[in-house]
Amino acid sequence: MLVPYQLPGILVFGSEATNGTEDAKARAHMRFAPPSLSASIGCRSPILRAWFFAFGALLLSAIAEARPAREVVAEAAVMMDADQQRSLVEGLGEGEPGDVSLWLAKWKEGEVYLYQDAAGTDIAVLLEGEADPEGKQTLSRVADGQAVLDADGASVRASKDDLYLADTDSGLRRVMKGVTDRIALASPDAKKRLQAVQDTGLEQDPAKLVLLEQRLSVETDRSIRNALAEAMAMIRLRDGDPAIREAAVLELGELGSIAAQGAIKTVRGEAEKAGQAELVAACDKAQRGIEGHIARVNTVGTLFRGLSLGSVLLVVAIGLAITFGLMGVINMAHGELIVVGAYTTYLIQNLFAGGIHMSPFGLKINIPGMNLSGGAWDCYFLVALPASFLAAAGVGLLLERGVIRFLYKRPLESLLATWGVSMVIQQLFRLVFGANNVQVESPAFLSGNWTVNDIVFGWNRVFVIVFAVLIIFLTWLVLNKTSLGLLIRAVMQNRGMAACMGVRTERVNMMTFAFGSGLAGLAGAFLSQIGNVGPNLGQNYIVDSFMTVVVGGVGNIMGTVISALGIGMADQSLQQILGNPVLGKILVLGAIILFLQWKPSGLFATRSRSLD
Amino acid sequence: MNTTISGKAPTLLLAAVALFLVVGMPSLNAAGAVSDFTLNTWGKYLCYAILAIAVDLLWGYTGLLSLGQALFFSLGGYMLGMHLMLMIGKLGAYKSDLPDFMVFLGLKELPDFWQPFYSFPFAALMVLAIPALLAGIFGYLAFRSRIKGVYFSILTQALTYGAALMFFRNDLMMGGNNGFTDFRSLLGADLRSPEIKRALYLASAISLSAVFLFCKWLTTSRFGLIQRAIRDSENRVLFSGYSAANFKLFVFVISAVIAGIGGALYVPQVGIINPSEMMTEKSLEAVVWVAVGGRGTLIGPVLGAIGVNYLKSWATTEYPDLWLIILGATFVIVVLFLPKGIVGVPAQIKSMIDRRKAIKRDRADDLAAINPSPEAE
Amino acid sequence: MSMVNYLLAAEGLNKSFDGFKAINELNFVLEKGELRTVIGPNGAGKTTFLDLITGRTKPDSGTLHFEQTHDLLRMNEFEIYRLGIGRKFQTPTVYTDHTVRENLLLSLAGPRSIWHSLFGRIRKEQEERMDEILDTIKLTERAHAKAGSLAHGQKQWLEIGMLLAQDAKLLLVDEPAAGMTDEETHRTGELLLSLAGKHTIVVIEHDMTFVRQISQGRTVTVLHQGHVLCEGPVDKVQNDERVIEVYLGRKSKAA
Repeated sequence: MLVPYQLPGILVFGSEATNGTEDAKARAHMRFAPPSLSASIGCRSPILRAWFFAFGALLLSAIAEARPAREVVAEAAVMMDADQQRSLVEGLGEGEPGDVSLWLAKWKEGEVYLYQDAAGTDIAVLLEGEADPEGKQTLSRVADGQAVLDADGASVRASKDDLYLADTDSGLRRVMKGVTDRIALASPDAKKRLQAVQDTGLEQDPAKLVLLEQRLSVETDRSIRNALAEAMAMIRLRDGDPAIREAAVLELGELGSIAAQGAIKTVRGEAEKAGQAELVAACDKAQRGIEGHIARVNTVGTLFRGLSLGSVLLVVAIGLAITFGLMGVINMAHGELIVVGAYTTYLIQNLFAGGIHMSPFGLKINIPGMNLSGGAWDCYFLVALPASFLAAAGVGLLLERGVIRFLYKRPLESLLATWGVSMVIQQLFRLVFGANNVQVESPAFLSGNWTVNDIVFGWNRVFVIVFAVLIIFLTWLVLNKTSLGLLIRAVMQNRGMAACMGVRTERVNMMTFAFGSGLAGLAGAFLSQIGNVGPNLGQNYIVDSFMTVVVGGVGNIMGTVISALGIGMADQSLQQILGNPVLGKILVLGAIILFLQWKPSGLFATRSRSLD
Repeated sequence: MNTTISGKAPTLLLAAVALFLVVGMPSLNAAGAVSDFTLNTWGKYLCYAILAIAVDLLWGYTGLLSLGQALFFSLGGYMLGMHLMLMIGKLGAYKSDLPDFMVFLGLKELPDFWQPFYSFPFAALMVLAIPALLAGIFGYLAFRSRIKGVYFSILTQALTYGAALMFFRNDLMMGGNNGFTDFRSLLGADLRSPEIKRALYLASAISLSAVFLFCKWLTTSRFGLIQRAIRDSENRVLFSGYSAANFKLFVFVISAVIAGIGGALYVPQVGIINPSEMMTEKSLEAVVWVAVGGRGTLIGPVLGAIGVNYLKSWATTEYPDLWLIILGATFVIVVLFLPKGIVGVPAQIKSMIDRRKAIKRDRADDLAAINPSPEAE
Repeated sequence: MSMVNYLLAAEGLNKSFDGFKAINELNFVLEKGELRTVIGPNGAGKTTFLDLITGRTKPDSGTLHFEQTHDLLRMNEFEIYRLGIGRKFQTPTVYTDHTVRENLLLSLAGPRSIWHSLFGRIRKEQEERMDEILDTIKLTERAHAKAGSLAHGQKQWLEIGMLLAQDAKLLLVDEPAAGMTDEETHRTGELLLSLAGKHTIVVIEHDMTFVRQISQGRTVTVLHQGHVLCEGPVDKVQNDERVIEVYLGRKSKAA
């Protein structure tokens, strides 16, 4: 059985032979966002929050008369009669959802103890407060949270060993599960509701069918309605009537239910044994449908990942397309300019949090931070973007003035000199920030993901695409709509002529290089959000970015855009087909060499009529 | 370009240095005056010098800056390394006939392509053939489509990168990350004995001398003229009826083979080879040696390789944190101010003095000619 | 086409760069032993035409044959060179880091293989040929100077010398008089005239005095906007209405 699950950033297929409920649940968890992530999204999204309040208010008014959950739990916990106990717990379904879940969980997880008072009545209690040397704690009543007092009015202290645990048997636990499931199914949080629906489906408990039907009659969310249909069909796979089973199988096939694959396989096995040929055929058909769905999910996922990888390439290469493409400077320190941007982001992040505390070269640097958190802290990234642009542009400016301007006519030597510079910068990073990676946290609006039809769209991946579009637009704007752009284009097309017309080519070179370097800094700010930040970060991208520019055709920004997307797509598709990222990468490099056979000057050749 | 080392006296000096390296050092070592460690270190330097000549043959003479020569160096090393791995026999940690890393990967049998490497002559042949083959294929593709200048550099960088990625993988059966190490014997002799160390040093010194002489002959023949013509004006070479691509391919293959020889001598002396040796940084480091020593000459790369590595041995122990900064800065300074390297310094000083003189003379002339307004321009 | 054996025949050649038609339906034929002068205003496509012949660029359409049988469009630069087509570039293109003599040595007719470059010996008659050429181009004294150190005019001559060394059947000479003194120009003209007959020569030139000198009694071709405007004896061409229009810019578009 193949079940796709989400590893950070990569959709992989793992094969699973077992078919237990627990396993399936675990897998279902993996398939969607980690619970903590979805929870954080739920709280942080303002729309959901508003919805939550509205819904919550309605709910509260409806259950105004219901007894508080803790009272019911306190009563049930001391009850001897199992049936009564169950019906009492069953009734909890009407209570305030958060409270009910909380108290049931406490009970189930063994936090509730029984204390027998002087009169011999059992009282459900919790152990609270600091444990004294004998391991004794104060007792508080589950029913009202009051401390348990002895005859003298002093609070009773006991250790775990002095008390009985308020036991739960499997029957009771099942009832509890039913209650919590029901609550989860009615959860105002759509994500939790979806999760609950899917969990219920995987359990395949026919008793839950009614619950789901009820939910379906009131559910308005489309994706949850789909999930409900899927879950109900999965439960019907356990139906005694082969006809119903067959219908369910076919429905699941049409829905492309990845989660149902195992269950359908089981149904098929049983049907084969029972000689129900039609059902077997239906299972096969459904299986094909699901496989087709998986293939489509993979294809779209691959395209999406290709697009986002292409955007990453584009973001890191666009600066190079300016300095190398337009100016003809081979800047091997381009990668280090990216790292300048990444470290700038790191510093700004720290400035928004605890401050900057470093001691490079024996100097003590202590800059107090603003100690922000939440939404205000999230804003650091918006400050980091311009800051990293400026920082990298500044370093680029120094590089141009100090080294590159002497080497405009000697491209090979500018390659070598800038490599020397890159080595120096890298080592400086190591001395200042340490050889290890530093931690850059993403703001909330960049973490999390968005699942449509089993396809996971990570927000950071979506963001990189948007970011790439913005950067391209910015570059286009600068090159085509500003006077600097006009000068840049004039100098790049005919340096001598521009100089004759009074253009200060030296200055234009400087500005162009600084602009290209600044774009590298932006790329760094971005890369800090999707990967580690360390002194070697730039090295990982230098080959890729040069390849991107060369394939696109030097001196053509549009070419760079297309080649970045092309290489990104090719890389991801090959990874998907070969199932091996390194091999894919090697093949892409090989393909690039072959591509240059066909078009030696890249996709968009700039025509040149001069010899050499 | 060879003006600085032309004439009889330098030739004699070169011969003397070569004689010292080939005969003097090993004798001194045998007599106990030079420690085994020093000899071993120098053996390493000489291998680097071979690599440097390979780089210079391409860059200095033909104008092709390859960022992939360390790859060919490593390939040469890997080929001999395969033989050395098999010669470990049952002395490895797992006491198996298979190299340790294969046992670790759960292999039961030696992969087919490893079999012939039991034979030393075969391994030696592969030291030459594999770099030549790769250079031949890559060079054919690159030169055929007229990829030159920085594009060639970038493409060789990509080649190196791709190859390193491949060698990092375990399923290539070339030792993955850790590469080959723990060699025991070569041609039946214990690699750790001083005698075999001396022999390896001697082989390096003789190879370096041979490579030097071969390149001397190559670059002073008409081939050398064409080589430099390609460097200076490749299009003109085409319009003189030479197939520049074939000539470049030939030089590229020769250079790869020379680098491979250097690598094969290097590996038994340092006792390890792994994929990090073939990364672009290593190639660029070799380019630094050539740039520092003086490109377009043969003595330059040798001086550069030995000098920079000597500096490296010293700096990495004295100032480990600053070594990369020293290397990087040296490189920037050499590129900016000493385009012809150490070898070119005398000529550079001479031309500077000449220019001074000329400027002085011109100024005097100018003053005489346009006395009333000297700042007419 | 006719039964005459043309050395070079171009038919319906077209070449455009980014929409700019550098060569437009060009037809051109050359007989063996001719000395043909090609004139035309800037941008008329003269240099592009030479680029097409020598394989530097490939046309969009048309045919180009040498000695009837060789399809030049299927060959690359050095193969075309080996057929015996030599070219002098507009700006002198010599090996600046090589000596004058080495420049000639590299251009000498003979095998062009790697093997020959390594093991081939310079024969005595080749040495003599180089001496002879050095004498012709008046560079005997500078034979061992680096070509880069020569004056502009001398570089032009060296490049012509390289053509001579090649012993080409067809010499394509692009603006040989550019940057030369009047005296040097005149001597260049004489040199070209002395070669006519032995070699077939195409000269591209701007300088009308020079054109008159070398094209007396010979055909001159006028190119305009990538097309042959007219062809004929120099006097007739110079008085042609269309040619005057093109050169003086009357009624014509800026080229």
